[in-house]
Parts: sequence; C-alpha cells; structure tokens
Amino acid sequence: MKSNFTSRLAIFAASVGALLTVAAPGWADTTAESAQRAQKLAVEVCSSCHGPGGVSVSPTFPHLAAQNRDYLVAQLVAFREHTRGEQAAHDFMYGMARSLDDATIHALAEFFSAQKPAPARRGDASLIARGKAIFDKGDPDRNIVACSVCHGADAKGSAVFPRLASQHADYVQKQLTVIQNALRAVPAMHGIVQSLKSDEMSAVAAYVASLN
Amino acid sequence: MPVCLRYLVARREAILALLLVIAVAPVHALPSYARQTGQNCIACHVSFPELTPYGRYFKLSGYTLGDRQTIPLAFMAQASYTKISDNQIDDGTGTGTTTALSEDNSKLKFTGASLFLAGKATDNIGGFLQFTYDGIAHHSGIDNTDLRLVGRYSAPGSQEPDLLYGLTLHNNPTVQDAWNSTPAFGFPFTSSPVANTPSTPSALVDGSLAQQDTGIGGYLYWRKTLYAELTLYRDSTGPFSWLRAPELAASTRLKGYNPYWRIAYNREWDAHSLMVGAFGMTGNVYLDPTDTNSPTNKFTDWAIDGQYQYITDPHVITAQATYIHENQSLDASFSAGNSANASNSLKTLRLKGTYYYQRTYGATLGYASTTGSADSLLYASGTPGTGFAANSVPDSTSWTLELDYLPVQNIRLMMQYIWYSKFNGASTNYDGFGRNASANNTLFLNLWIAY
Repeated sequence: MKSNFTSRLAIFAASVGALLTVAAPGWADTTAESAQRAQKLAVEVCSSCHGPGGVSVSPTFPHLAAQNRDYLVAQLVAFREHTRGEQAAHDFMYGMARSLDDATIHALAEFFSAQKPAPARRGDASLIARGKAIFDKGDPDRNIVACSVCHGADAKGSAVFPRLASQHADYVQKQLTVIQNALRAVPAMHGIVQSLKSDEMSAVAAYVASLN
Repeated sequence: MPVCLRYLVARREAILALLLVIAVAPVHALPSYARQTGQNCIACHVSFPELTPYGRYFKLSGYTLGDRQTIPLAFMAQASYTKISDNQIDDGTGTGTTTALSEDNSKLKFTGASLFLAGKATDNIGGFLQFTYDGIAHHSGIDNTDLRLVGRYSAPGSQEPDLLYGLTLHNNPTVQDAWNSTPAFGFPFTSSPVANTPSTPSALVDGSLAQQDTGIGGYLYWRKTLYAELTLYRDSTGPFSWLRAPELAASTRLKGYNPYWRIAYNREWDAHSLMVGAFGMTGNVYLDPTDTNSPTNKFTDWAIDGQYQYITDPHVITAQATYIHENQSLDASFSAGNSANASNSLKTLRLKGTYYYQRTYGATLGYASTTGSADSLLYASGTPGTGFAANSVPDSTSWTLELDYLPVQNIRLMMQYIWYSKFNGASTNYDGFGRNASANNTLFLNLWIAY
C-alpha cells in the first residue's frame, strides 16, 4: 500500500511540476521604469491592505513578503483575468489588478518576493504538531499527499508553488476551503484537499503559520 | 379620485417599481467608489455606511485610490414603512379628543433619494457631493458633502505612507471623520423620518450645524496610529452658500470662524482594530441668523469616543461608544427671554454593538441617553406629543434593536425598533396630556439601496 502510494506520489509530483511549468507565465525583465512604478504602487496602494513590505496585519489579507515571484505573477494575472473565483478575489482584487500590465505585475512580484518574510506565529502546540504530521506525511490511506512534496519541507515553496511559511493561519485555512470548493483554478490541489477535514485544515494552517 | 391624485399615486407606484427594478439588478452595478476601485462594497464597509479599516484609509486618502471615472455618479434611495406605537395625541383643546401625530404613519412611503457626485479627480483630489430629495417633507437640496486635497509622505526606505495629510471642505461637523463613533455617520445610520423623536436640540457638534455651516480643515494621519485634525467652521454664505440646505433664516448660523478639534489613537492587530479618541468644538451662534449684528450664544462641546471592530469571514463584530458634553452660554437667548437660564449643559451618551454573519445577516443593539439642565423656556411643557414634561428637563432614553439583511452588498433590508423609557423629560405623562414615553416606540421597516 505504502509503496503504491509512494509511486503515485512521485508520478503526481512530476505531473504537477510539468503541468505548472507549462502553465507558468512567461517572464519579462523588470525595467527600471516598471520597478519604480511597482514600488510606488506597493507603498501607496498595496500596503493599505497587505501592509508595509507585504507584511499584513489582518488575516483577511495574505502576507506577500517573500512570496515566490512566479506564484505572485500567476495570481495577479488570475485576478486580472478573473480566473480566481473566490468571493474575496472578486471583492478585493479584481479591481486592484484590472489596470496592471504584464511589466508592472512582474515588477510587483519582484518587489514583494524580495521583502523580508513576516514573522512566524506560534500557537497551540498540539494543533501545530498535528498539522506538521499532515504537512510532512499526508495521509496515504485517504490519498492526502504530503504538503511538503510541493511546498517544500520548510513550506517555502518554489516557483509557482506558494510559500506557506509564516502565512496567516486564517488565510491558509480559508484558501484550503476555497480550493476544496474548486473556486481556485488549481486542479493539482483539488484532489489532495478533497477529503481534508476542517479541523485538519486548521492544524495545517497553524503549523505553516508557525514556520519562519 | 381626482386626476391629480391619480397622477400622484401612479407616480408613486412608478417610483416603487423603479426601486424594485434596481433592487433586483445584478450586483456588478455598484456605487461610484466601487466602480472607481473595482472593489466591492465590503472592502470599505462592514455594511454601509460603517467603515472597515481599509474604508477609513480610503476616506482619509481623499477617496483617491483607484481609477478616475468619466461619470462618477451614484444613486441611493429608501422606501419605508413606519408604525408608531400610538399615533394619536391629545388635540390640546381640553375636550379629550385626539388627533393623528403623523399622517404618514402605517403607510409605505418613498422616504427619499440621493444623487452623489463622488470619486477622485486626481491622485490628490477627491470627494463627494450628495443631493437629496426628501420624500416626506417633499423638498430637495444639498446633503453631506466632503471635498479633499490630500498628500502622502513616506520616509526614505519606508514601505508604506508614514503620513497622510489633507485639507477638507465640508458642510457637517464630523462628516469628514473616518470612525463611526462620531455623530455624522454614527448609529442609527438611518431612522424613520415619520417617527416622533425627542424634541431636545442636539449639541452643536452632534448635528445642529449639518448642511447649515461650512468647515475648512486640515488633518494628519500618522502610520495608521495617530489622527489629528483642526477645522474651522463658518456660516455658509457668500462663496459657501451652495453648501447650505435650508434658507439662511431657518439655519443655525455661526459667527466668525469656530474651531473644531479631533485626536484619535488607532491600533490594528490581526483581525481587530481599536480606536479611542476625543473631539470638540466651540461655536458662537447668532440669535437671529438673518442679522449679523444680533447677539450670540456660545456653545462649547467636548466628547470622548471609541470604536472596536473584529472583521473576519464569516464573523464581524463592531462596537462604538460616544459621550458628548456641551456647555451652553445662552446670554443672547436669556436676554431675549428665550431661555430661563444664562447657562445650561447637555450630555449625550450613545452605545452600539453589531454582529454580522457573512456580511449578510446583521443584528445591532443601540442605547442612547440625553440629559441636561432644566430650563422652563427651552424645554417648555404644554404641547401634546412633542412638549416637555413639567420638570423642564431635556432627558430622553432609548434602546434600538435593528435587524439587517443584505441579499447583495448594495441592498439593505432593515427592521428597526426603538423603545423609549424616557421621552422629553419623563417616562409617563411626559406632555401633561397623558402620553407616555413608550407611546413613541416605533417600528421602522426600510429598503435601502445604493447603485
């Protein structure tokens, strides 16, 4: 059973990697002009919700600091193209992203990915331990793949796999629910979280929030 | 039925039909700020008009975030039904017969509508102008208005504006404030225009100058933590007369420039935000608004206020508290025989707590209390329904329960009930004609839309 699961897991990771490589947005060099425009936007507009340098106060708004560049590009494009379907994306981000051109999106992603990450938040130790178990090992019997397969053992992700470390727990849990309801176009995640229960989401969210 | 009456009924039905059409329109049709930012109402409002932390930032940024709209118009309308507990009052003839307090009681009424010109003009200039038609009093005119010129300062290396600063031109004290614990946008956000409400004139900073005088002020907001403002209020005459709604003769007219001050400490952490603050003003008011040589009364107000908000999905909890103390130097009124005392005081306390689920289902409980000096001329007895008790005090106490349902973000269905335990100075027989405070308890059903 375990070896079957390991094989499936390897195939899954390879498939997701290949899929996301194909789906990843093209990369344009950030010019001095777009970098300046992005910094002005980040300081004067984005900071009003996402905080200075992308470290937000309210868990309604995710930390952007140190988030992976390619992931940020993909999300801003998804907001602009309305392919992220959850209510919060509609309420807050469609409008913010509607006027962003590709160069500005790339420069914003550069800006936020280069910021110092938000500090870790330690919470309930037993909840964190439970979340770590799911994050590291998944649950083979329920076809729940370990989160670390894509997001990395340290939850820092890579490329289009988002950094989860030190993200607001409430935001992570909300996104897991959103993905479970297929409101975000991330088919790779839909199967994984399908049988994840609410308390398990809460545990995983608490764990990643506790990581630096 | 006379032709003109049939026309009026048909027109009312047409208006209600129009409201219904607008009410069922899809939510993508949003007021002008939402069109400007591309964001939904809930980005800025817990439920309109109560602001979220981002809404406060948007307001203090001079309404300038987002893209300028070619035609920055928005529309608001209300239709309501009011049921006063006892709509019959003694007719004052001494015969024991009664008359109706309001002809609009127990009727569906088109309460009114507003047209807004609202949005950014440049990255540093924005505001709103509201024009309102009052469907009960059947008149129209300028309503709340707030125009701003703003700037931002970021220290070298700073990742957010360290300082927002701005100038504001407006026509109602505290309409420029960003917290809902100040009077202009405090609870209740709307209430029945048909109801019988306490007759005590409100404090100067608490609505007495609304749409009657002009404020020109400047403010600073430092790191979303400290807010300070100084505004000078003057009469709305000459170049400012367009900011006044009533005729000058019917207005509360200020003499000279009168200072208003405001300080607030704001803290935001996780899903919580807290503000504690104080504000106040001093105003010299002409006894005769048409005569600038007439003597003045001097009002000095100070207030403390606080607000707490917890905003998550799906739970939202908010609370506001406001206490206003007013010293009234009534030399002009006293000399003219309009007040029994040369000085009085007036104290107002308001408390309110709200819970919303999914920004759709809301419940609010509010408490309001007014107390003050006895004055047999200012708070005269002898008028059925609206007069004061024999003790001549301005005291009233009420509780308000409001249930809200927002099927979409720009439509609000309200059921509001207000209980009076004291009205115009007494709980029972306050008017001397046998009417109790509770007779003014009012049920208010309201449809409120913004488009």
